[in-house]
Amino acid sequence: MDRNKMRTFLEIIYNCPFILLIVFTSLAFVTFFDGEGNRRTGQELAVFQLFGDGEKAGDGEKKLTKIDEIENKIGQSNDSGLEEKTEIKAEREENEHQNAGARKEDIDKKENDSQRISDIDNAEIIGKTERLETHATEFVEYTPIATDSRYYSDAGKVALTTVYDYVLENESYFNDAAFLGDSRTLGISDYAGLEGADFFCDNGMTIYKLLGDDGVTYQKTGEKVDMKEILQEKRYGKIYIMLGMNELGYGDTPMYLKQYLKVIQQIKEWQPGVIIYVMANLHVSREKNNMETEFNNININDKNVASARLANGRDVFYLDCNPLFTDEEGYLQAELTFDGVHLYAQHYDKWRDFLFEHGVECGEMQQADAEEQPEGLEKMGVKDGEGASQ
Amino acid sequence: MVFSSVGFLFRFLPIFMIVYLAFPKCRNIVLLIGSLIFYGVGEPYFVLLLLLSVLINYGFSWYMYWEPRSPQSNRKKRAARRRKRALVLAVALDLGVLFVFKYWDFAAGSINAAVGKGILPLFSLALPLGISFYTFQMISYQIDCCRGTIEKRAGFLSFATYVCMFPQLIAGPIVRYGEVADRLASRRVRIRDLENGLKLFTLGLGLKVLLANQIGTLWNLIMTAGAGRLHPLVAWLGAFAYSFQIYFDFWGYSVMAMGLGKMLGFSIPRNFDHPYISRSLSEFWRRWHMTLGSWFKEYVYIPLGGSRKGAGRTVCNLFVVWALTGLWHGAAWNFVLWGIVFFLMLSLEKRTFGKRLEQSIVLGHIYTVLLIPVTWVIFAITDMGQLAGYLGNLVGYHSEGILVGVTQLLRYLKEYGVLLIACVIFATPLPAKLYWKWKDRWFAVLILLGVFWWSVREIVMGSNNPFLYFRF
Repeated sequence: MDRNKMRTFLEIIYNCPFILLIVFTSLAFVTFFDGEGNRRTGQELAVFQLFGDGEKAGDGEKKLTKIDEIENKIGQSNDSGLEEKTEIKAEREENEHQNAGARKEDIDKKENDSQRISDIDNAEIIGKTERLETHATEFVEYTPIATDSRYYSDAGKVALTTVYDYVLENESYFNDAAFLGDSRTLGISDYAGLEGADFFCDNGMTIYKLLGDDGVTYQKTGEKVDMKEILQEKRYGKIYIMLGMNELGYGDTPMYLKQYLKVIQQIKEWQPGVIIYVMANLHVSREKNNMETEFNNININDKNVASARLANGRDVFYLDCNPLFTDEEGYLQAELTFDGVHLYAQHYDKWRDFLFEHGVECGEMQQADAEEQPEGLEKMGVKDGEGASQ
Repeated sequence: MVFSSVGFLFRFLPIFMIVYLAFPKCRNIVLLIGSLIFYGVGEPYFVLLLLLSVLINYGFSWYMYWEPRSPQSNRKKRAARRRKRALVLAVALDLGVLFVFKYWDFAAGSINAAVGKGILPLFSLALPLGISFYTFQMISYQIDCCRGTIEKRAGFLSFATYVCMFPQLIAGPIVRYGEVADRLASRRVRIRDLENGLKLFTLGLGLKVLLANQIGTLWNLIMTAGAGRLHPLVAWLGAFAYSFQIYFDFWGYSVMAMGLGKMLGFSIPRNFDHPYISRSLSEFWRRWHMTLGSWFKEYVYIPLGGSRKGAGRTVCNLFVVWALTGLWHGAAWNFVLWGIVFFLMLSLEKRTFGKRLEQSIVLGHIYTVLLIPVTWVIFAITDMGQLAGYLGNLVGYHSEGILVGVTQLLRYLKEYGVLLIACVIFATPLPAKLYWKWKDRWFAVLILLGVFWWSVREIVMGSNNPFLYFRF
């Protein structure tokens, strides 16, 4: 009897090795991923990595929870200050200068107080930047809707292109320009016909990966290059950045802003006098807009409003190309796109013309920059440099 | 719920299988409830529509078999009349529901456009998942009942399970009741069936996730750049990419359904027989989506008279069948056009060069390899202006300058070259042959295990690409 049972048992095992393998590996998978808390994240992330591989889900989750708590606190305390500033429009210029000084001193002091950089310090820098530089960007406010997402909230406002006396430029303006971005920038590279500019972009590129070790594809050679090396070795007059789509379901907006600030400060340090254009992320079409996931225009706008805060109207400018391509409700016009995310090739010349219209005179800029730059900034740059390369 | 999702693979399927195997006495009820959960997760409201359809259809079929006491003399005649009446009502109702959800906006929009005024309102209803498939299945059941093909009235549970069972609920294959009637009544699940079913499922998963989804990004990339300004070679590359995508997508799904069916103790019919090695379009349609083809043949073409009522009538019947086949795939003019192209080509083949094509290996293959991608382009692009642009690009006509040229072509080939070769190989019968030969060998088991986990990795990391055929 026992022997018979044993035999049946062995027969079963012999007959279904595949099931057993799948079951055991699945158990391992489920246990492993539950333990890390990765599985849930990976799944939720999955939907949003439309543009490529994206990052490993795991590390994001861990970072997120930590920063989440800190940023929430700081975010609340900053909001009041923000509103005050936006009201004072007449004295904008003066204020800006004063604030600039104040802020940099402040940060300087802070740094002396504590040598090491903690997340809190970084977050406070963002707070200050918001307060200081916001009024370079004008916002149109609206009543935000309630959102229930750990990746974003409704910003309640739309950022407009930084006000400035832009000059109409032509193609030669882009001979010393670099474009850093994701698949949409790849589109500009392919179809806008800006032959002189250097394009560093990849599908699925994020602000977190931009200066990372994995590198970015240099479109002229088609090879991966280390952005850190390029920015240190080659001098550019202007750098266009457009990133944020692949971040929609990764980390939250304060974390995005913090990283964006880090990147910009790093670039400024390596490329003194450079003009940085922070380009708005293009909205998606109505069809693609999905409020049940993180893939929607509220989230994109949240990221855009955050990055617009980095503009100061001196060497960082925020360019909002959305009015060119969206309808009155802010959706990307359906006839301009196949997948609801990327423009058809023939519409990139509109974008190019928009870039032509927003030239900033370099000479003028560098002068202003030299005047503005207090001693503290260099130090701060160094400090953040360390932060970025961590 | 989608087969290629973490939720299905690691939650629904294992839990369901354990319950299913644990209660061998009430398999149908477990399967029915499981299927409703499977459907309800994605369509919490339309699951009610599905249930209602099943109930009403069962009511009609019950009425067909109802035998009231009446004098012997005209019993048969009355029964036949009753059956016909029930059939007409049931089919009208099923098609009516399908029409409202799937075709109303298209029909009303077309009429409005023709009149030039908005005389009919548009509903903008969402399309219930799988409605085209389960409606056709229920219609086939009603017709079979009326014809008397199904001898005994099915129990409600059997009928509901037949319509709703999750392997084939949302994207086919369109199973006929007679094909599964025995298994619905009683079925055994042997351990070999579980093993082989899971292997088949894994194979289908790999086809869907590792081939269809991947090559689909190339088509998307090309369409993203825009139809109308493509270099002819890029346009052809795109057409091939889409042809592979739709094939592996749907074939993969059908294989998964077969595998799951096997695991549940059913044998779900094969839906594809290597269509891309056909030598004519008629052969192609004997190998592509075979259950749909035989549905139209059985329930439309032959009742209309088939090819027995003269040449004129045959052409007419073919036209009806292909216009309907086109419309079945979607409510838009490009699908009608797509059906009509097949009608024209198939009629031509039937009358003139079909025989010659099927005899000549070289000519036949060249003919299908060039023509089928063009039909898929018509299928894929809903916007007529864009479609015209793309078709123009295929033959080298450009109304404006080329934007996507050789530079991009080389980049695409560099990026997708290996995948394209893999797609070509899997379009031939070779991999299937090797699979059936080696599926029980240890290395095949290991390869399949690798396919499974690689697919899971892609599912978790990549975009969750729903099946193309879910739109229909």
